[in-house]
Amino acid sequence: MVENNLDKSNNINDKKVDIKLTFIKGLKKGLSTTLFLAKIIIPVYFFITLLKYTGILSWISTYLAPIMGIFGLPGDAAIALVFGNFVNIYAALAVISGLSLTSKEITILAVMLSFSHSLFMETAVAKKTGLSVMVVLSLRIGLALISGIVLNVVL
Amino acid sequence: MLQYFGESISQSFSSILTISKVIIPLMIAMEFLKEYKIIDKLSNLLSPLSRLLGMSKKTIFPLVVGLTLGLAYGAGVIIQIAKEGKLSKKDLYLLLIFLVACHSVIEDTLLFVAMGANGWLLLSFRIVVALILTILASKNIDKILSIKEDKIKQGL
Repeated sequence: MVENNLDKSNNINDKKVDIKLTFIKGLKKGLSTTLFLAKIIIPVYFFITLLKYTGILSWISTYLAPIMGIFGLPGDAAIALVFGNFVNIYAALAVISGLSLTSKEITILAVMLSFSHSLFMETAVAKKTGLSVMVVLSLRIGLALISGIVLNVVL
Repeated sequence: MLQYFGESISQSFSSILTISKVIIPLMIAMEFLKEYKIIDKLSNLLSPLSRLLGMSKKTIFPLVVGLTLGLAYGAGVIIQIAKEGKLSKKDLYLLLIFLVACHSVIEDTLLFVAMGANGWLLLSFRIVVALILTILASKNIDKILSIKEDKIKQGL
């Protein structure tokens, strides 16, 4: 353990990049991220499939169709927006792959979600740097809504 | 019921596989990006951008960190630089406005492309919107900041 640490500090002093070590570090991070997102995706998938089997999904789809139509999206895409904003992007990805959407619809959803996602976690991060919560939230949600409307017209 | 479990398990594993094909190579690439200090080099390259956005050159490094590695890393760098007192209030606000609108573009774009989105459109739309927003904010930032200070004074 001590030797390992010494090796690392020597590397920093030499300013040479250890390719093998860097690769393993990245691989570990990739695997732990995969594990982290698996824990989110599996329950979200069970939930979405449950909605599908119980017919709730088509019910949501019908009722939200007029609102989501503003963004050129089907009603059930609202679930992706909810999961993306209240949980994170990975949860939204799980919802998106569980629904049958066209490439245009996925692109619009992607733009909307990229402006506004993980609102609880990321607003907390932004707040630490001194920005007001209201500014951050209205900026992000505003951008998402406007870009959805614009892209629906343009695409 | 069996069909329900079967579908949930198989579909969720296939999407985890899709995402991991993006995430694992990406994380390895990011690690090399950090080790070879490519972000520092990219910051030097992009430093003229700071004038366009109405910010000082010191903001480019945290900007590039946030764009590539994500908001959490970017904010970490910002907090550190801000503590050293190197950033003006204007710099700090503009930087955060840009990063709140647009961050971790590599990961997000690749993930959505894996799902079937148009990546070039997604990436260029995000960056252009964030640039316009920041330029607009930089033109009005003096007003916004002075109103804030007035409010604080009135409060006292």
